[in-house]
Amino acid sequence: MRQQYAIRSLVVMTGLVFVGIAVLVQIVRIQNSEQAKIFLANGDMYAGEFYTFYPERGEIYDRNGHLLAGNRTVYEVGVSLPEMKDVNALAYVLSVYLNMTEEEIKDKLLNSPETWTYIVIKDYVDAGAVDALQQVIKQLEDADDNRLDGLWFKPHFTRSYPEKSLASNVLGFVTRDGRGYFGVEEKYNDLLAGNPVQLWVPRDPNKAIEIPKVPNGTTLVLTLDRDLQAKVEAILDESLSEYGAKNGTIVVMDPKTGEILAMASTPRMDLNNYTDYFQIFDNGSAYNRSIGMAYEAGSVVKILTMAAALDTGVVTPETTYIDTGSITVGGITIQNWNRQPWGQRNMTECLQHSLNVCLAWVATQMGSPTFYSYMERFGLGHRTGVDLAGEAMGRLKVPGDSDWYPVDLGTNAFGQGLTVTPLQMMMAATAIANDGQMVTPHVLYAMIRDGHQYNIPSQYAGSPIKPETAHTLNEMLTVSLQNESASALLPGYRVAGKTGTAQIPTPLGYDPNNTNVSFIGWGPVDDPQFMIYVWLQEPTTSIWSSETAAPVFSRVAEQTVIALNIPPDIVRLQYGSR
Amino acid sequence: MQASQIIHAYKQAPWRVQRQYVGAFLLTVIALALVAALYLDVTSRTALAGREIQDLRTEIAALQRSNADLETELANITSSAVMQRRALELGYRPIQPGELDYVFVPGYVAPEPAILLAAVDAPLPPPSLPEEYSQSLLEWLDESLRSGMALP
Repeated sequence: MRQQYAIRSLVVMTGLVFVGIAVLVQIVRIQNSEQAKIFLANGDMYAGEFYTFYPERGEIYDRNGHLLAGNRTVYEVGVSLPEMKDVNALAYVLSVYLNMTEEEIKDKLLNSPETWTYIVIKDYVDAGAVDALQQVIKQLEDADDNRLDGLWFKPHFTRSYPEKSLASNVLGFVTRDGRGYFGVEEKYNDLLAGNPVQLWVPRDPNKAIEIPKVPNGTTLVLTLDRDLQAKVEAILDESLSEYGAKNGTIVVMDPKTGEILAMASTPRMDLNNYTDYFQIFDNGSAYNRSIGMAYEAGSVVKILTMAAALDTGVVTPETTYIDTGSITVGGITIQNWNRQPWGQRNMTECLQHSLNVCLAWVATQMGSPTFYSYMERFGLGHRTGVDLAGEAMGRLKVPGDSDWYPVDLGTNAFGQGLTVTPLQMMMAATAIANDGQMVTPHVLYAMIRDGHQYNIPSQYAGSPIKPETAHTLNEMLTVSLQNESASALLPGYRVAGKTGTAQIPTPLGYDPNNTNVSFIGWGPVDDPQFMIYVWLQEPTTSIWSSETAAPVFSRVAEQTVIALNIPPDIVRLQYGSR
Repeated sequence: MQASQIIHAYKQAPWRVQRQYVGAFLLTVIALALVAALYLDVTSRTALAGREIQDLRTEIAALQRSNADLETELANITSSAVMQRRALELGYRPIQPGELDYVFVPGYVAPEPAILLAAVDAPLPPPSLPEEYSQSLLEWLDESLRSGMALP
């Protein structure tokens, strides 16, 4: 009996062993079959996905912490074709909220390539439209209606400019491909955009730790003062209207540090609608006239000629010149702006009356090598290095250039025959306002990255003239302004400055009817805290700078001293002496 | 004869030998079950933590978007043009130069341009995920034994 059980047990055990072995063999066979490789490959494919992590673009603030450029969420609205239930319902609902026609949507959904499983219906959809769509979906789901199945909303950032057109010429804009154009957005695009990271993102939660943290783009703090910028833009707009000028620009800068406090230029655009660019601007150089458009600035250049002459000792403020109304340089006769002789004048009076003949004589006394050496030291013909995209170089012809003629020495002395940008003139003039030291203009005050703020130091750009020369010329420009252009003065403050009325060159010679009017000035003279440049293109109410640009300077200066809390000289000097 | 008797005296009964084999087998099964249970426990906790990390990342991304939206919205409603309009509606008007009074405050230092550190997210501390979630079972056992720690 026991033996019988033993045999049965042996048979059962043997059977089970065979079954076990068969299972093992099958496991090994399946694991190593061709199909298994396909399954494994498919499994790997669905184990994760390649994903590009775009960092949030860095924000841009003004110097007082007002947001000038930020980010906001928009959505990509798409349809997953395998999940789609009712194309008509989808097309109808989407057409209501996405401002598209049903036909457009149906065309996208029904005529897509066969291999596609996901169709983007519209990108950059506002959160409001998506919220409304989600409410519709929820209502349908509550009613067990799945006709909108397959609809997906993928959020992402887009650039947003809360101040709209304010400082648009300085900021530039960002297109949908995430690239910055013009101004700060282009110049600092790499810093602002950060570094996108593309990697394989596993769906396995055990591997979640491998997903890196993508640092955001660097946040920038600009030297601009938002409120001053708004006031300067308002004054510029009023001035264009008042004087009938075609366009204009006004820049306010700290002459000691080169910090640009306000930079207004026309036209401007709402940066949130950057596609308007092509309707508003003819060419890129007009985007920011302060840096992108070089022009013959006229008499404002006389301050550089006089600075060079004083520095070399060719003249002193008391040097006199008998103005006969014309001078011949290089065989060409140069005349004064009113074609009249002014008699015996000292150098301060030459500046005060803006005498072309006198300044041409001063340049000839220096000679070409000295004159052009100084002009180059002042930075004419070179970019200032301002941290804004699209800066023009201007043109300074020098002896040896194929298009330089001896008469150019005379005409260049009063700002004709050479081109500068407003910012180039300002940078050169910082040497006069700043004890002979020139500073590089800049708009970046600080960068913020990983919770740390890195302040940007001012950049010294050379000393083209001696401090004594700067002091002397400062005084001359203060006195000459008091006598020349009362409309530029600011009650309570001593300011130095110079007007510039320049004819406009055309292929047929200088335009006899239109002018560019400019004004450069700074104050308070004993401790300059602001420098202002005004350029109005082709004013129609008057062709003279003293009647157009000069009063604009005064208005801007008035707002600047309020915005910067600069007390009148009498108050400042009284308290400063304590 | 003597030797045979001694061997016989120490030879165990067959049922005792069988019980020892069964005991050893069961012990092995229990040990393997324990190891498997521990492994399953660690793996499941790792998976849960991983899933939690994924959820938190999604939440962080959503919060970052929300922060950016709120910041932009705040900037919109405090923009220069809006503030100017609101000020005018409240009866304010731009100050004129002659209306300004300057007061001398000894020792007062004018504020520097805004330091925005407070507005910036503080850097996140380094990941503090326990090592148990990144170690293999053997590594964990090895470390526990080496450090003389009591096993859970």
